[in-house]
Amino acid sequence: MRLTDIMSNAGLSLYPTIALVIFVVIFAVVLKHAFSRSNTHDFNRAASLPLEDDAIADTTIRFDGSKP
Amino acid sequence: MTVVNPVATASIKSSHNAAAGPMEQFSYDDAIVRKFLTATMVWSLVAFLAGLVVALELVAPKAVEWEIGGSHPLAWLRFIYETSWLNFGRLRPLHTNAAIFAFAGNAVFAAIYYSTQRLCKTRMFSDTLSTLHFWGWQLIIVCAALTLPLGITEGKEYAELEWPIDLMIAVVWVAFFGVNFFGTLARRRERHMYVALWFYIATIVTVAVLHVFNNLWVPVGLVHFFKTGHILNAEIFLKSYPVYAGVQDAFMQWWYGHNAVAFFLTTPFLGLMYYFMPKAAERPVFSYRLSIIHFWSLVFLYIWAGPHHLHYTALPAWASSLGMLFSLMLWMPSWGGMINGLLTLRGAWHKVSADPVLKFFVVGITFYGMSTFEGPMLSIKSINALTHYTDWNIAHVHGGALGWNGFLSFGMMYWLLPRLFQTKLWSPKLATAHFWFGTVGILLYVGAIYIAGLTQGLMWRAFDKTGNLQYPEFAETVVALIPMYWIRIGGGVLYILGAVFAAVNFFKTWQTRPAKYEVPVVSAPALTSGYIDVADPASRLTANVEFGHKGDVFLQGAWHRRWEGLPLKFTIGVILAVAVASLFEIIPTFLIRSNVPSILSVKPYTPLELAGRDIYVAEGCYNCHSQMIRPIWAETKRYGDYSKPGEFVYDHPFQWGSRRLGPDLQREGGARSHDWHVRHLEDPRQLIAQSIMPSYKHLLEQPLDFKGIEARVDAMAMLGVPYGNAVKSGEAERLARLQAKKISEDLVKQGGYPSLSEKKIIAVVAYLQRLGTDFKQAPEWDPYADFAPGALSPAPPAGAKTANKEK
Repeated sequence: MRLTDIMSNAGLSLYPTIALVIFVVIFAVVLKHAFSRSNTHDFNRAASLPLEDDAIADTTIRFDGSKP
Repeated sequence: MTVVNPVATASIKSSHNAAAGPMEQFSYDDAIVRKFLTATMVWSLVAFLAGLVVALELVAPKAVEWEIGGSHPLAWLRFIYETSWLNFGRLRPLHTNAAIFAFAGNAVFAAIYYSTQRLCKTRMFSDTLSTLHFWGWQLIIVCAALTLPLGITEGKEYAELEWPIDLMIAVVWVAFFGVNFFGTLARRRERHMYVALWFYIATIVTVAVLHVFNNLWVPVGLVHFFKTGHILNAEIFLKSYPVYAGVQDAFMQWWYGHNAVAFFLTTPFLGLMYYFMPKAAERPVFSYRLSIIHFWSLVFLYIWAGPHHLHYTALPAWASSLGMLFSLMLWMPSWGGMINGLLTLRGAWHKVSADPVLKFFVVGITFYGMSTFEGPMLSIKSINALTHYTDWNIAHVHGGALGWNGFLSFGMMYWLLPRLFQTKLWSPKLATAHFWFGTVGILLYVGAIYIAGLTQGLMWRAFDKTGNLQYPEFAETVVALIPMYWIRIGGGVLYILGAVFAAVNFFKTWQTRPAKYEVPVVSAPALTSGYIDVADPASRLTANVEFGHKGDVFLQGAWHRRWEGLPLKFTIGVILAVAVASLFEIIPTFLIRSNVPSILSVKPYTPLELAGRDIYVAEGCYNCHSQMIRPIWAETKRYGDYSKPGEFVYDHPFQWGSRRLGPDLQREGGARSHDWHVRHLEDPRQLIAQSIMPSYKHLLEQPLDFKGIEARVDAMAMLGVPYGNAVKSGEAERLARLQAKKISEDLVKQGGYPSLSEKKIIAVVAYLQRLGTDFKQAPEWDPYADFAPGALSPAPPAGAKTANKEK
């Protein structure tokens, strides 16, 4: 018996549907998380992370050679 | 004017310090970023020049005929389509690989090595791994540049590199790059992982998965070595066959091909955008919320979209409809990301006029928006019916590659140059000139090629009043595009000039670097292991059961915040999302037989035809010729009966192709004489005056390696192709010689060249004459009957059963 026969008879057809439902649920929760108002502070802090490393390292040089 | 918000920065620092351990001092490794940035600059020139050469290949056969005052000013161009290793089929993969893996790859690494250290407030995990990663990757690129022009290829687009190089890629990507990156995450001093890091994680994980699963092969030389103890020659040693055949191989290839675009050319560049755009604009990203949605939508949706490359092919219709649906859904998050990138400039648009970095970013992100609108549009079946196999796809990918990847890379380069070399940029004016040359170059390129693609698609499907094809000669539909191909060359030259400006600027800036680079010491508090995250929020519900309260706490999403701080679990989540989606897309075609109905009369290629097929693959014929007739009236009228999935069950690898600069070859078998094929390959213009196909004279001169055919047959038999008695020692070579003798005798009878029976051309003719003929045969036909009556007994189908039992 080949692998194809085993897998064909294994009745896997329901699993993709289950996977899809799980995906949609996770995505809905991510949406809820992203738009929940209580996270605003954390998001603001996260968004400024790329700018924060300059403040620490103080090596920022502007395009024209000046420092901010 | 400084626009960093001092109040925000101060509060950030205090909030950070509140939950932190002792201060630690460290420095960033910028030397590795300098290395990757230099490699980006060097390989960009190589990739663009290779592109210019392949663009010239398409106009050269017509250009050499130009006559001014009795002389042919461009006749010297003849060598580029008459030299075997310069042929379009061999150089086009070199161009695509150089652009994707050398240019874009090194740019991505420069971005990741620069930003990850700073976002994690730590040095890279291991400087040794960083160095190994850099030199390992450059070695891979050099190997690619040496093997592809020699015709050493797996014959699958963007995955052409042969198995030893595949192994090197796997080691460098996972063991050097992956370990180094995740090691850095583990040692970070910033608890929250910024969204750019998520995009990098998705990139590293998914590219590893894609690379491994699309490159499962059987090396021909190793099979032969284990069977006989001999290593035949380098060509056989480097050759491999993918374990998948036909429909499955196509499915895997475009699952890979599409997701390589997604996870090599999109997600790492989005990470780049989310880090360097705020840097250049000196303000945080427009909406962090939107970036979270952007990330998860891409991870969930992209992986399903691959089958849109296979509309109306022999792929089952449900699979391509699924691919189309998910492609359409991708439009929304992609545009969300574009808007997020552009609106980061809110209140700072005036800077764009003065700063070339922002110019590159703004136009680059706009091209992201254009490409991600066009992609879903092209995936709609009815539009795809017109555009598939045409130059439209070429315009689409160049809008993405030159506009999005190219401009983001160059924008980043101009931002990094003064910082990495600790000096001023040599000439901002030259950088601005680069921007304008590049922009006009892209517009000329894509404008001309859009028109070319539409022209091609419309000419292929045009019928005259009598119901016949209006342009029955395929060459007519190619010659009509030549003016557009010249405009493309003009656009390409402008873009390359821009890159040359960048190289000059790079070099001059490097020259003014300090004698010794300053290595600033940075200090940041360590993360303590006893760190306690923010407590769960209280439930906002009043009268409710316990479950309701728990649900509300969950929905408030503190878990996601905590989860973002856990790289391992986060990574496993991404792997699961990608793997589950991929598996459920792929499993059905692999495992449910009814999806690929078998055809009794389809038999394995004879040993000689197999050798010919391998030459077809090595020459890169698939770069211009498809082997897939769609069930569309204009196609069946032009080429013959449409392709059936069962016809490709022995095709390792599949050769459906993705564009037509020449006609489809699926029903080529028996359509023309042997002599026609020989003379056509020798010089196509002997038979079709308008042809732009390269000359394959070398196939008439180079000897065919009959000894190596046995190794090829053995490897195929190992993959389950029923070769029956042909796997016996010496049998494959004997059969191949018999068939070669028969074909060369027929060739002489047709008035063709004598004494070609030992040359490569005979194998190619044998393969071409077999193409697409099996399904017209009676179920019990014997492919060996014509040249070796009675040589194989029992016939292959019966032999197949014995062969299986012997295993």
